[in-house]
Order: sequence, then structure tokens, then C-alpha cells
Amino acid sequence: MTEPVIEATDAVMFLGDGAARVQALRGVSLAIAGGELTLLMGPSGSGKTTLLSILGCMLTPSSGTVRVRGHATAGARPEELARLRREHVGFVFQSYHLFPTLTALDNVRLALDVRGENSRQAKHKARDALATVGLVAKMKSYPRELSGGEQQRVAIARAIVGNASAILADEPTAALDSENGHAIMTVLSEIAKDRGRGVLVVTHDPRIVPFADRIVRIEDGIIIGDERTAAASRQPARQVQEA
Amino acid sequence: MSLAPKLAFRNLFHDRLRLIATVIGIVFSIVLVTVQMGLYVSFERMVTVMIDHAGADLWIVPRGTKCFEDPSLLDERERFRALSVAGVASATPLVIGFAQWRTPSGGTTPIFIIGTDTRGGGLKPWNVVEGDAAALAVPGAVAIDRSYFDRLETTRLGDHAEIGDQKVQVQAITNGIRSFTTTPYVFASLDRARAYTGTAATKASYFLVNVAPGADTIQVRERMRALMPDTEVLTPDEFRRRSANFWLFGTGAGAALFAGALLGLIVGTVIVAQTLYSSTKDHLNEFATLRAIGSAGSYIHKVIILQALMSAVIGFGIAAAIGLAVVRTTADTALPVVVTPTMLAILLLLTVVMCVLSAISAIVKVMRIDPAMVFTR
Repeated sequence: MTEPVIEATDAVMFLGDGAARVQALRGVSLAIAGGELTLLMGPSGSGKTTLLSILGCMLTPSSGTVRVRGHATAGARPEELARLRREHVGFVFQSYHLFPTLTALDNVRLALDVRGENSRQAKHKARDALATVGLVAKMKSYPRELSGGEQQRVAIARAIVGNASAILADEPTAALDSENGHAIMTVLSEIAKDRGRGVLVVTHDPRIVPFADRIVRIEDGIIIGDERTAAASRQPARQVQEA
Repeated sequence: MSLAPKLAFRNLFHDRLRLIATVIGIVFSIVLVTVQMGLYVSFERMVTVMIDHAGADLWIVPRGTKCFEDPSLLDERERFRALSVAGVASATPLVIGFAQWRTPSGGTTPIFIIGTDTRGGGLKPWNVVEGDAAALAVPGAVAIDRSYFDRLETTRLGDHAEIGDQKVQVQAITNGIRSFTTTPYVFASLDRARAYTGTAATKASYFLVNVAPGADTIQVRERMRALMPDTEVLTPDEFRRRSANFWLFGTGAGAALFAGALLGLIVGTVIVAQTLYSSTKDHLNEFATLRAIGSAGSYIHKVIILQALMSAVIGFGIAAAIGLAVVRTTADTALPVVVTPTMLAILLLLTVVMCVLSAISAIVKVMRIDPAMVFTR
């Protein structure tokens, strides 16, 4: 069995202070393995985004542990968390969060640039990442010149260009029509075929369930369900890895 | 090449209106500082201009003299004492003082007389553009600067006027010997200057000492000090500093110029800080995204500081051009603004420091960003 790319164990998270203090996670344990696409589903306020934040090293849990490629985040300072993110985690956001003043190619290059990779080689990597998501023809376009689906594909290219172990996507299809949503999920499921890379998608969208290898359901800060899907059973290679 | 400069440039030029406001703030600030510093340097040069052109190795001045224009008197005996000191080659008397110039139309205007020994190495007029400084030996001859033609109602060489009740004739015209007090300098021979200022023939305002070739000026000064306890013996540098200190700080003029420059810097810093902060707030999502994708704090600092530096370079370029135009415009006025290459370098450094300091508030704002905010926007 391969080591999980990201693993939370008994993660508890309190948010806010005083009377506004709430317990967003109540002892969550979840391991994201390479080579699978996991959906994290749950109603609003269930703790999905908080869990995504701690798995993505943006927050550290109040108690419990989170390990990213074996590195614990407990007690890590913001700069250490930032290092873990840039080395191991790629993000895809609901609102894309592309830089409007940079071209698609530069938006992708940025993920390498913050790692200090700014050679010609980095440009080639960014171009390859755009090719992976089928957007190499639009690499010189600015975000305003791209459709929502295309912008999200640029965001995916940015997430994968640094060879991150984990791709964490927050409602990546929420702002897209079904056709574009389908296209985005196709790209993400292709990415998840890489055994060294796990993909976790937070979603409300039932249309994307067929793309999942695994569905984790969360409610009131507790995982209430964790099931393998038919898609997973159709992919023996991944099952072997999981086993 | 790193994307940080491109990102900084694009952030800066993305909102042209804000960029214009930033640049105007910097330009306003730097032009203000340039003018104040330029006036300061000009003032400092003007208050020591006579000392600079005297060509003396040492000055014998009345005890307690505050500046060149401080008209106290020394006795001729001090000159002979000085001449008796080993290493002193000459001690030339110089007489200064205020007098009244009667214009051809009958009016009067105050002037500042400089009486020079036409035979020796005294303080002679320089930048003579018409006539000859040697002509001051002619009785009643004076040298004036052409910038005072209007004040003195004199338009050319050979014009007549009166100082006190004595007739004078313009025998030399200089260019650029202006007084910061706006009282015109008028050069005359030593004896005529004594007559115009009511100075006794045995008195002088200063003695200008030249040391013998090979003599050590400081050693000569020490010997003179020992022998002449009722006077002060100063090097030109010491006298220059004393004069400058008196006019710049004793009168408060320098403090006013400094205050103006400081005000300019403060205003500039506040304007740049405000615009950078507001620009950063507008790009907060982007900075949060940078943080979310793992950018180190130093990368974000670099982007913001580059924005500040780009603003500084643009603002400084425009401010320097305006400053040089001010220099040209004021070149022939009573107090011209002087800008030296060193001053330009200092101003560039000041602009950069001001802009980088201004970036701090923006950096503090950015470093407080919670990267997880990208999930909720």
C-alpha cells in the first residue's frame, strides 16, 4: 500500500473566538491516496472548506495531526506551511483566482516562479501543463479573453505544473454550465490517474459523482460516510494500489 | 526571468488613475524637497561667496565675528603683528560696510561696500564682463554686478552715481556676484571704501593672510593666535562654516528650508503609502492567491517593493526634469535654486527610501492575509 499523500488524523478545528467560537471539525480522519479522485460532499456549514484548508496546509488543526507527504503541519509557522503548499499541494478554486494582468501561460508559470523556478525550462513546463488541459492554443490569452471553463482549466494547469502530490479543488464546477463542468471533471479525473497524485474535490454538484473513485460525506464536522464507487471498481489498477 | 517585476509593473499600470495620483504625490514631494535643498545649497554658497573668492590662506577677524557681513573693525597694528609671524608672506586689509548709493534720479539705496587693496592680493571682483578690476585703482572707480542695474539705476560702464556725497564711476561690471540680502555689493579701492563707510585709515574689517611658500598654514595660524590674542585667526573653511552656521541656523533661515524639505518628504511618504495601500487592497485577492499557492512572504514583499520602486523611478524622473527647469528659471534671480549631481543622487535615494517606507503599510496588510480567504471569495 502506498503512503497517503495527505492524511488527517482525529483533526479537531475550532473557529472564531468567544461567543462566536464554533467547532468546525470534530475529530476527522481522512487519507487521500495517490491515483484516486475523492469527492468530499456535505451541506453548507458541514466543515468541507475547513477540512480542505487544513489538508491544504492553510490552517493547522486545533488538535489532531495532518501530514503532507509525511511532513506534520502541527506547530508549523506560516512560512513553513507556505513551503509545504508550494512543494506538495495544488489548488483549484471555485472562482479560478487567476491574475487578470497575466496571460494564461504566465498564470501557470507563477506557480513555478514562487518556487524560484524561472528559467526557460519553467516556461516549457507551463506550456506542457496547458497542453495537458488542452489550452496551449490560448496560452497568450488573458483571463478576460477566456470562458469560465477555460479559466478553470488554466487554474488546473497552474495546480499541476509544479508536480504537486495533491490537487485540492473547491467546487471547481460550481460556476460552470454542465458541459464545461463535465470537461473540467474529465481533466481532473485524468490527472487522478497518476498514481503519485491524489485529487480531492469539494462539491455540492451531484452531476460529478460519476467521476469519483471515492465519496466522503461530511456533516456537522464529522465524516458520516466513506464509500468506493463504481468508477473505482472499473479501475483495477487504482484498487490494487488502495489495497 | 522572474515574474515578480512583471506582476509589479502590471499591478501598477493596471489602474492608470491611481498611478497618476501616486506619481503626482511623488513629484510634488520631490520637487518641494529639490527646491528647498536647492535653496539651501544656493544660500550656503551665497553666504560664503566672498570667503570662497578671497584667495586667503588665513583670515584675521575681530573677536566674536559671526559672519563675513559682520562689520567690526581691527586695528592696523594687528596687521603688523601678523607680518612679524614667521611664515606669513602678506596680510592684506579688507574693508566692508554699508553705505548709501545715490542714484542719478536722486533716490538712494543701501549698498554693501567691499574695499579691496588694488595693489595686493585682496578680495577683487571676479567674473568681470565689462571694464577691468584693475581700474578700481582710479579714484572714484567702483565695480558693480549687472544684476543690480535696476536697483542702482545704472545701465553701462562709465555711468556716474554718488556714494554718500562722493562721486563714483562704474569702471567694471561683473556677472553673478549677488548678495542673498538683496543689498548690492559694490567693490571699491581700499581708501575709497574707508571713505564711503566712515572707517578710519588705521582700521580694517579683516586682514587676508597668505602664507609663504612651503610654510604650514596651521602652524602659522597657531603662531598668530599666540601673538594676537585680541583677534581670531581662521582658516577659510572655519570662516565659511561660521558664516554659514550663522545665516543658516543663527537666523532660522536654514531651519525653515529644512522644515520645508521635511514637510515635502512627509507629504510624499503619506501620499505614496496611501496609494500603495489602496492598490494592495484592490489586489488583495491576488496576493491571497499567491499566498495560497505557496508563495513565500519575501516573494510578495518583492512584488510590493518593486511597485514602490517603479513609482519612485517614474516620479523621480519627472521631478528631476521639473527641478532642472526651476534651476534654469531661477538662474538669474537673487536666490537661484542650485541642483548638483550629488544632490540629485541624494534625492533619488530619498525618493527610493520614501517609496520603500511607504510600502511597509501595504506589506503589513498583505502579511495579515489568511490564504484560506481564497475559498470564500
